[in-house]
Amino acid sequence: MIIRQFVLLLVLLGSISDVPASGQEDSQIKTVIGPSNIDLADGATALRAGNAEDGVRLTQRGLNSASNDRERVAGHSNLCAGLIMLERLDEAIVACNRALEIDDGHWRAYSNRALANVKLERYTDAQRDIATSESINPNARSTKVIKSMLLDATDPVAPSITIDDRRKPPADDRE
Amino acid sequence: MIVSNRLLLFASVLLWTSGFASDEPSVIHLADQGSERIPLSTVAPVYPAIAQRDRIEGDVQVCFNVDRKGRPYRIAVRSSTNRVFEKPAIRAIRASRYVELPKEKEVPGIKTCRTFRFRLESVAG
Repeated sequence: MIIRQFVLLLVLLGSISDVPASGQEDSQIKTVIGPSNIDLADGATALRAGNAEDGVRLTQRGLNSASNDRERVAGHSNLCAGLIMLERLDEAIVACNRALEIDDGHWRAYSNRALANVKLERYTDAQRDIATSESINPNARSTKVIKSMLLDATDPVAPSITIDDRRKPPADDRE
Repeated sequence: MIVSNRLLLFASVLLWTSGFASDEPSVIHLADQGSERIPLSTVAPVYPAIAQRDRIEGDVQVCFNVDRKGRPYRIAVRSSTNRVFEKPAIRAIRASRYVELPKEKEVPGIKTCRTFRFRLESVAG
């Protein structure tokens, strides 16, 4: 049980969005002033530290003062991750849906919603979210872990190793 | 299925029971009766966690020499279907031992080869 919680935390840590920084950019100079929304940034930090309650509270506060869609998407997706950590799964799905209403290409929100669906045993929905998340970001480790959790729930496997010292596996073994 | 006499089934250890997926693999060891060197302790490789997570199966053949004391050396991968299995296979060979040769016997120069087959078996009821 402890290991499952640890894995869940690790998965969610990979699905927490960075809060957009305010700053100026051109082709040669990049000046990063700092996170544009302190509450969202602190919320993300708290979630990464595994502090779900503070993370959710700060993220909700940050969402109230979000100034653009990027902040809102990151905030709702992070809120979704935090609510999953708190096992408030139906609320988590609502938060993920809000993120996806603003940006339907946000792989982290699909990934988070997939995890909530796995935990709710809504495996068909989870499969669909994983497929969408993978189509956007095929290399995301957290999505791979969630996919493995889904497969473990729907099609569990056990490893098997054959050690074959035969010089030539005989073709005539089977008759 | 009839298995020929020259095939020995050394061990068939089931470390999991149906319905429960464990990290410990089940291990089957197949060997020729007339092998030059007799295995003393055979270490099974660890199934790589990433391969298990991503449901990857594969084979690795590792060839090596065995010294008089029964220790494998000059261990090299001869063929493999996926690199993720190579390190665990090499580690397993390195940790395995063969029966020591008596002083009057010459150490055979030919390499010994061992194939590891990594598989994932469904445990669904």
